Amino acid sequence: MKQETISSLVARRAFLRKIGRAATCAGAIATAGALGVTQKVAAKSEPASSRGSFPTPDYDWTKRRWGFGVDATKCIGCLRCVEACKRENNVPADAHHFNTWVERYVYLEGEAKARVDSQADPQNVAASGSEKEYRFDNRYQDSKVEKAFFVPKLCNQCEHPPCVQVCPTGATYKTKDGVVLIDSKYCIGCQYCVQACPYGARYFNVRTRVTQKCYWCYHRITKGLQPACVEACPVGARIFGDRNDPQSPISLFIRNNRVQVLRPETGNAPNVFYVGIDKEVG
Amino acid sequence: MIEHVAEIAAFSGYVYPNETVVPWTVLITVYPYLTGLVAGAFTVSSLYQVFGMQRFKPVAHFALLTSLCLMLFVPMPLLLHLGHPERAFNAVITPHTTSAFAVFGYAAGFYIVLLMLECWFVFRPHMVQQAQQRSGPLGWLYRVLCMGSYDVSETAMRYDRKWIFALAVIGIPAAHGLHGYVGFVFGSLKSREWWSSDLMPAIFLFSAVISGTALLIVLYVVSCRLRRTVIDLECLKGLAYTLWGFLMFTLVLEGLEFASLVYRGREGIDVIMQYVTGPLLVPFFILQFGIGSLIPLVVLTFMISQGTTGRALIVGITVSAVLVLLAVLMMRWNVVIGGQEISKTGKGLLTYHPLIFGREGLVAAASVLAAPLAFLLLMVRLFPPWAEAPAASASPSPHAGAR
Amino acid sequence: MPKHIVRLIALMVAGLALGLIAKWFFTVESFYEYGHYRANSVPEIAAQEPAYKTARYCQSCHSERHAQWSANNHKTVNCETCHGAAKGHPQKAKLTIPADTRKLCTLCHEAMPGRPRTQPQIALTQHSGGQQCVVCHNPHAPKLAGVVAKMAGDAAAGSKKHAASCASCHGAAGISPNDTWPNLAGQNAAYLVRILGAYKSGDQTDVMMSPIAKTLSDADVQNLAAYYAGLSCKAAPSEGRAGDAGAGKALAKNCAACHGETGIASNPAWPKLAGQRAGYLVNALKAFRAGLRKDPMMAGVTRGLSDADIANLAAYYAAQSCEPVTQARKTQ
Repeated sequence: MKQETISSLVARRAFLRKIGRAATCAGAIATAGALGVTQKVAAKSEPASSRGSFPTPDYDWTKRRWGFGVDATKCIGCLRCVEACKRENNVPADAHHFNTWVERYVYLEGEAKARVDSQADPQNVAASGSEKEYRFDNRYQDSKVEKAFFVPKLCNQCEHPPCVQVCPTGATYKTKDGVVLIDSKYCIGCQYCVQACPYGARYFNVRTRVTQKCYWCYHRITKGLQPACVEACPVGARIFGDRNDPQSPISLFIRNNRVQVLRPETGNAPNVFYVGIDKEVG
Repeated sequence: MIEHVAEIAAFSGYVYPNETVVPWTVLITVYPYLTGLVAGAFTVSSLYQVFGMQRFKPVAHFALLTSLCLMLFVPMPLLLHLGHPERAFNAVITPHTTSAFAVFGYAAGFYIVLLMLECWFVFRPHMVQQAQQRSGPLGWLYRVLCMGSYDVSETAMRYDRKWIFALAVIGIPAAHGLHGYVGFVFGSLKSREWWSSDLMPAIFLFSAVISGTALLIVLYVVSCRLRRTVIDLECLKGLAYTLWGFLMFTLVLEGLEFASLVYRGREGIDVIMQYVTGPLLVPFFILQFGIGSLIPLVVLTFMISQGTTGRALIVGITVSAVLVLLAVLMMRWNVVIGGQEISKTGKGLLTYHPLIFGREGLVAAASVLAAPLAFLLLMVRLFPPWAEAPAASASPSPHAGAR
Repeated sequence: MPKHIVRLIALMVAGLALGLIAKWFFTVESFYEYGHYRANSVPEIAAQEPAYKTARYCQSCHSERHAQWSANNHKTVNCETCHGAAKGHPQKAKLTIPADTRKLCTLCHEAMPGRPRTQPQIALTQHSGGQQCVVCHNPHAPKLAGVVAKMAGDAAAGSKKHAASCASCHGAAGISPNDTWPNLAGQNAAYLVRILGAYKSGDQTDVMMSPIAKTLSDADVQNLAAYYAGLSCKAAPSEGRAGDAGAGKALAKNCAACHGETGIASNPAWPKLAGQRAGYLVNALKAFRAGLRKDPMMAGVTRGLSDADIANLAAYYAAQSCEPVTQARKTQ
């Protein structure tokens, strides 16, 4: 154990020396582009072997590739996922900060465009009686509804996350198992990532003064549990699993359905797969 | 929590639940405004230092000093806006090279150093003189700044001039790169249709030049008044020409950008049009385009074509410059706040109400704008940029003499 | 080169070196190890304690409830979805038993455009008459045990069948002659239909009742139920009881949601208990407790009852008037 620590220290020294040298060159050139190259070189010299399994002794992130599915045809709009998520992840208990939320799309007869609302809509907040509890009001019960459905939303953990791209410090990053995490001890709170996300998945937490978002309950999935929203969903509208396992719920979901993603034109390549949404969902 | 409640934006249509807290506040409109003024002022100084336009000599050093004073305060709005300002250096210690913000630390740092160096060389003769004459803390300050060398021989000055030229040459891409990158910060985001445009850096650049020139016009006229000296009309006219020309470019670019946005008519254009013809009518069409841009353009065109001179010219140019300063401020507002008032859903609009007090309030923003000017007042006393002014006023215009 | 320029260059080089040393010095541990981020933040995030512990965690203590829940329709609704996150329970936190079930259950079951057709939905105003959902539904086994059958019995025909098959034990007017067999007079028809149906199908067994019920046709069952429901229960004699009715009254508060405060059930699918034979009630409760009579709701509520509790409850209900509540209070 001791030897391991020392060897990792030596590795760190060598590695830091390397950065130092690299940065000296970069400093001389004084261009950001050159910095990028040298950092990529530096990143390759990782002492991962000294770690064993990472990030925890029981979990190896190189073995998994997480994926998330949403079956909108099953969602009943009960919002148990939203409340479970708020509790699980210390999301501010109000109507302006959500890791996950549910949208309701309603096409009334004779109307070309859908009417959209979420649990954060003031009318729905009034129906629940509190910003800490969530329910959809029944505003369309007496209307002639042509088509209506609910769509759960959450962070898409994109393959090419624009939020990670714009983060100036490296406080948000994509893990090897496919989740975009936020290092709340390193985030400076510039909120550029909030701007860059086209899905509105990120928000600024006024209390911690850093950005927060859905991270597929990384603390749960690395312990073999399902994300809290999946756990709370009473109808199986949320599907989660390891895409490396061909028999996992998510692999079956993707294989057996014609799935789609949100805003594919952005090139972000989302990893949340939808079934049962339509043209106006974005 | 009161602070939090005040920042909740009202909305119509459908917006994402997390959008009701506008992330970038009025401070972030001040930030590109300041960098724009820096780049503009530096451009004017370079016109003299690099391109040898003698008519700008009276303001060249002043422009440089203005640029430096403003630049020192550019990080202020950003720091005030950060959730954890004490961690700001994380962006410099481990800069993420794919991030436009990470570049800021290095680009701004580099540019501040460059400005300080250029100022140092420009004001070195003055500093040497003061260091040798003055005593007390001020003399001590000058001596430290001189780094113990009082060499103002012709050889030394020749070296200095070379350095100034080199620094000014490097400074042109640096200043414009710094500001063009601010446009890139917005233009490169694909999440907002209002921002996502390849023309954004160019628009920011050109509007930066006009705002910096306009600021110099105003400051020059005011300073001449304060110093009770005559205004060099040739210089002022040169500034007016610069303002006039770049104003035309800016207007064309902004028109093109808006036209292509509307013409492309991608998803969400309905809401954008609803926004442009509704909440944006006054700040965009009336303040930014009408009062801020078209009126100065017409006034300047008229005066230039009519050959107006004397007091009328000074008043006309100054008024135009003030209006342009307003137009560019409104342009920053309309870009930064406007982009966030149009929901990412393309189905709704938000209304941002700035706080008055607080870290990100209007008072803080106004202070950030005023602080560099106050600092400039101090710097002008320490490093008089008008030292060579008497040479310029050797042949005063008879009209200018009326002032 | 002039002295000041040499010094300036020296200063710049020193500044640059200082900056690089600062960058090296302040770069936090584990940064760049796996990429452009602090590798240690990954285990930090992974180490957070989950708030939702899953049904398996609940099962370790609430195994019977878990067994019932996992065998019924609500098995897709996890424990913590209604009772809240189990973090800190049982050591520090008590979990809630939702009080306002009309609010809770309608989150999923209120008829609303957008809900899939497969989702059971109700129009709240027409469904329960303002009662809490748990009055009729057991949240852990929500499907009603006896669907309230349509009452189309002929009381006159029922009267004849009664005389022929039942009167010998249950009394000529549906009032039992002894303490062990139940009074039938005035009992809810829907309950009778359900319970006779259970004997008939074999879901519930009794040495006496099973063979008799098997001879009854569906029409007989309906007729008998209609006949008994129409009889007056007033004649039921009150007699000496073994239990303490006062203690029973306190316990009966737990039963009131379904069986009414004095044992007059609010829902016709549940039996009236007021004025029932104490001995019969004791036997029935013990049968539920032992699992001989199978009912998910009753199994749960009888589990914690002692023999004395059962006797007290029986005494309490036996002493109540089978007439509506307001009159029962006056007579006491």
